[in-house]
Amino acid sequence: MKRIIALVIVVILVIAGLFCCDWHLQSNDEDGKDTLYQAVDTLPMLIMQVQKCSKLYTAEYRVHKIITHDDALRLKGSFLQRQFNIKMPLADRKIAIPMDAKLKAYIDFTQFSEKNIERQGDKITILLPDPQVTMTSSKIDQKNVRQYVALTRAQFSDAELSSYQQQGRASIIESIPRMGILEQAQANAAKVLVPMLAEMGYKEENITIAFRRSYGPKDIQSLLKIED
Amino acid sequence: MMTKIKIGIGIAVVALIAAALLWLKSATKGDYVDFGAEDAIEVTPTQIQSMKAIGEWEFLSVSAEELVDTVRKGLFKDDELVRIYYGTLRLGLNMHQVEPGWIIVQGDTVTMTLPKIGLLDKDFIDEGRTKSFYESGSWKPEDREVLYKKAYRQMLAHGLTPENLQAAEANASQQLRNMMQSMGYANVKITFKE
Repeated sequence: MKRIIALVIVVILVIAGLFCCDWHLQSNDEDGKDTLYQAVDTLPMLIMQVQKCSKLYTAEYRVHKIITHDDALRLKGSFLQRQFNIKMPLADRKIAIPMDAKLKAYIDFTQFSEKNIERQGDKITILLPDPQVTMTSSKIDQKNVRQYVALTRAQFSDAELSSYQQQGRASIIESIPRMGILEQAQANAAKVLVPMLAEMGYKEENITIAFRRSYGPKDIQSLLKIED
Repeated sequence: MMTKIKIGIGIAVVALIAAALLWLKSATKGDYVDFGAEDAIEVTPTQIQSMKAIGEWEFLSVSAEELVDTVRKGLFKDDELVRIYYGTLRLGLNMHQVEPGWIIVQGDTVTMTLPKIGLLDKDFIDEGRTKSFYESGSWKPEDREVLYKKAYRQMLAHGLTPENLQAAEANASQQLRNMMQSMGYANVKITFKE
């Protein structure tokens, strides 16, 4: 008799458990729907950082690059010490992403003080801090993105595209030392500061804009200010 | 006699199999098979399209991250694409907009009349840094362009505020005053055009 009662209790508990479980699942579904509807509208901004500065941008370069990726499926390996690399048929994926970027060189005046100025009678010399380079913007030319995907393959995912774009951006940054932007920044700084000092009454021949030294491609690695 | 021959043949066969297995093991040492695609990209050389002299003096930088999403309603389920965009709004003065006589010196007094503080460059999103957060369904480049524009509007709305413009103006006054004072001018008057 006791066994029968215990068995009935167990059956009731199991049925109750199943009901509870079902109710919880339904409840989760409803929560999920709520979250989905909330997510339809624009999500809030993540972070905003405001920083005071004093940077004089003197040179701007617009650059262009096409990022390509050939995503053919390959069977690679070695067997009996012999290498093989076989391209699988009908499994090609290719993409070309045109990218434009804007690079700017600037002089940071935040630490500018009387130490940067030398005056001798009517003559004035401004000793400027080292110029620096940054990438101020980049843009994917979405209209001209071209992709070819074989029937057996899936479309490029958004994560894959983002990864290729990040690699393309890094490639532009790598090529900055060969562009001569620092030399341009130095020359252009005078074009902004000399008219200002001339307005203040100095004769142009008495104005000298100087840097610590001339900068070459080797220096640019230390003068690049790129956000990750 | 026959039994011994059979045993001998058996031992020889086992020895041969063992030798073949040992040879196969040594011959295939370091062998591997891999199936997949490479992640690395190829790039064309960076092409400089234009270079120009500018005179943009930045006094406030507003770095922003925007989480932007779009949803496409479907018959059975909805597709969603969520991306994180990065950008920096640079607020300051364009020195190419100053007018003649913008800086006047009288004894130890400098009077500066500066152009209005504003957004120095309309291109402020670094789309190359964009991160993909979530994707369901298939999306075209045009959809990503729409998301970019949405992020652009959001960054402008959040970053180009009267408070930030005022902060940039206040910092411009302070920085230029310091600069003029370090050049030996005791009194510095700064006004911004409306």
